[in-house]
Amino acid sequence: MTTSGLKIAQGRSGEVCVVTLTGRIDNSNAKDVISELDTLIGSGEKNILLDLAGVLYLTSAAFRALLVATDQAERNAARLALCSVTGHVRDLFEMGGLLDSFTILGSRDEALAQLS
Amino acid sequence: MSPLSPQRTVRSLELTVRNDLADLPALRDAWDRFGAEQQVPKRVVIDLQVVLDEVASNIIKYAWPEGGFHNFMVRLSVGDGAVEVEVIDDGRPYDPREAPPPVQVAPGCTPPLGGRGIHLVRQLVDRFDYERTGAENRVRLTKRFG
Repeated sequence: MTTSGLKIAQGRSGEVCVVTLTGRIDNSNAKDVISELDTLIGSGEKNILLDLAGVLYLTSAAFRALLVATDQAERNAARLALCSVTGHVRDLFEMGGLLDSFTILGSRDEALAQLS
Repeated sequence: MSPLSPQRTVRSLELTVRNDLADLPALRDAWDRFGAEQQVPKRVVIDLQVVLDEVASNIIKYAWPEGGFHNFMVRLSVGDGAVEVEVIDDGRPYDPREAPPPVQVAPGCTPPLGGRGIHLVRQLVDRFDYERTGAENRVRLTKRFG
């Protein structure tokens, strides 16, 4: 049996919409991330925090999805930030040369404190 | 019926993958299982998951610009302290080692959306070989561990 490999959960902390990604983000499911963020931005969310603590790995398809969403957020005067980017996942951002291309905050608590 | 048909020998796994991104999860699950069975370190399994996603998705998207149904072969072999990934397709000639490095942009500027996949692969493996044999592209990637 195959699995989608990725779980997307949504929550809220004050003004911030928190999207928790768990599993793997690759070419088979990156479109689900784009679609989720597209819907949120389209619905008028202005503060979106993506929590990557549960991400095992991501591939270039995920980077593309995050760049598309970041661009869309900017065009809608919304803010999209990432948190809990650590370990291997952080290494992959670095290998992709993308650590400076996103708003990457610390832990979820630190990120919420900064965004609220 | 599973889209992938494993033919397992002692320490290698051969999979036939269709030119359909929907086949990627089965490839991913097969490598997860095989890597764990062969006691490949978890970090190495993960690094090669990224590599497999990049290499296989490139073939699925670009090897057959005319479209239609095609298959390609992925062979995963675990030897002493190394994993070898061999990917063979009969699509248009393409040496992925020639993919240009990603475009660098000044801080604060928006980077290009794509062009990072092979750049990641280069950093995640120890050897990256390619040859065109007859009508086939053969990519061989080696990652050492231990």
